[in-house]
Amino acid sequence: MIHESSKSDSNLTFMMGEFEAEFPDDRRYARNHMWAQAANDDPSKIRFGFTAYAVRLLQDVYFLDWMLDAPSSLAESQEIGSIESKKAESALYAPGSGQLVQFNHTLMEDPSAINTDKYGAGWLFEMQIQQSDFLTARQYLELLAEVWDRTQRTIKGQLNE
Amino acid sequence: MAKRISVVVSQSPSKNPAKRKLEEDIVAGLLFENGIDVTIVPNLYDIKPDSTGMLALRQISGNLVVISWLFERAAHWILDRNAIHGRVGEVLLKNDDEEEEAWEEDQDSEAADHKDRVIDSRTIPNRKIYCLDLKITNRAQEFIDEVKRIHNENAVQIVGLGDIIKSVPPQPNGFAGLNGATASAVERMSSPTNDTALSLEGNGLDQPSVVNRIEDTGGRRWYPVIDYSRCTNCMECIDFCLFGVYGVDAVDTILVEQPDNCRKGCPACSRVCPENAIMFPQHKTPAIAGSSEAVASLKIDLSQLFGAPAEGRSAEELAALERDEQLIAAGREAVGLTVGMPRRQEQRDTEPKDDLDDLVDELNDLDI
Repeated sequence: MIHESSKSDSNLTFMMGEFEAEFPDDRRYARNHMWAQAANDDPSKIRFGFTAYAVRLLQDVYFLDWMLDAPSSLAESQEIGSIESKKAESALYAPGSGQLVQFNHTLMEDPSAINTDKYGAGWLFEMQIQQSDFLTARQYLELLAEVWDRTQRTIKGQLNE
Repeated sequence: MAKRISVVVSQSPSKNPAKRKLEEDIVAGLLFENGIDVTIVPNLYDIKPDSTGMLALRQISGNLVVISWLFERAAHWILDRNAIHGRVGEVLLKNDDEEEEAWEEDQDSEAADHKDRVIDSRTIPNRKIYCLDLKITNRAQEFIDEVKRIHNENAVQIVGLGDIIKSVPPQPNGFAGLNGATASAVERMSSPTNDTALSLEGNGLDQPSVVNRIEDTGGRRWYPVIDYSRCTNCMECIDFCLFGVYGVDAVDTILVEQPDNCRKGCPACSRVCPENAIMFPQHKTPAIAGSSEAVASLKIDLSQLFGAPAEGRSAEELAALERDEQLIAAGREAVGLTVGMPRRQEQRDTEPKDDLDDLVDELNDLDI
């Protein structure tokens, strides 16, 4: 199920059914399905966004809301906001502990960049974070392979209610 | 004479096109109804008390229908906090039969426990506010029909329409006839032959709808809303909150005095309220957002996949944790369960007395 993409040397692909979810290996990944990329000027300032896996589950994002204002200190797994999409809704949680620097304000008015440019303009927030146990793209794909069955059961279980 | 009725449509803060379409479909449908004025405002909860939007709402007199994405109770008490008072108008468009039962149970239990609610000590103007929840159905026609029903209900209370009305065909301007007027009289009155006749317009008769659209760019807010039909003025919230949100009015009744001191995302005081009187209308848990019962969402909840921690704490523990998070975020010391937690001892007064209690009371009464 894990392929080196032929389109780009730096992308790995995970098949979600028929859908090819791509994961650039120029960044790290958090277990809550966010990518993590250090800023050029400051390696401890990390920008987070949704992975292709998360965006595929959400589909068209309609609404993003944060429960706190930046700057703010965050504990790992602290609830920080919520998201609503065409198909789903979810609370959002901090990918690690540290200092929240800023949210991507352009998404507050129009969250569609999450769908159109998830690895770029669709970034969610930046944190000052001293953490090195984020997954590599390959490790993240191994995690996806592990959780894919459970994810499908979660979705189907709720759809059948 | 049919009274005019004002309908306020409160828009969702979400860009969800389905939500926006439902709002607009309802407005479009109401345009064809005579005697209805429509005001469109941004999300009612986010409107600041001194903004154009709230001023416009305060100027509306008479019965009011509020259509919003908020639970009925939340919409009603948000208006109340903004000095727009009224009685709860009975809405027939509800989630389903279960909700009705839940409301009835609420009222039964309130009647049974004889607690004094803040609302009992207040004078409420004799106007009705009907709150409709847009989450109930995605069919605009159901909301339009309910508004028409409410409009008719209020019209009928004022005017005793005789049987003869039924024989009068509706006129092109929607003017259906005055008490006992014959068809020919109605015809003469609606087509006056001199210019001294009173205009049919402007005297409260059935004019076409007026739509007033208010744009307000205030940003999103977060603060508690008190349901005074449940609140007993016990003061547990003011003891618990360490951010100065609560205060008391001139007659020592609790109120949300500094709403914007509230910590975004923190619903802790609602968890410690013994009467479930405190709502946070934008909280994801329906019980906290003002639902009378939990309503299952139609959407898939991905929270477990996106990192939700396991549940399993008491409401008080959760409230203390949430408050500590906010204290630390504000650069203050966490206090855990040591400050302002509900005084459970006092709750005992509400329990039925047993024999031992009676014995102790008798001992106290003995004048020794």
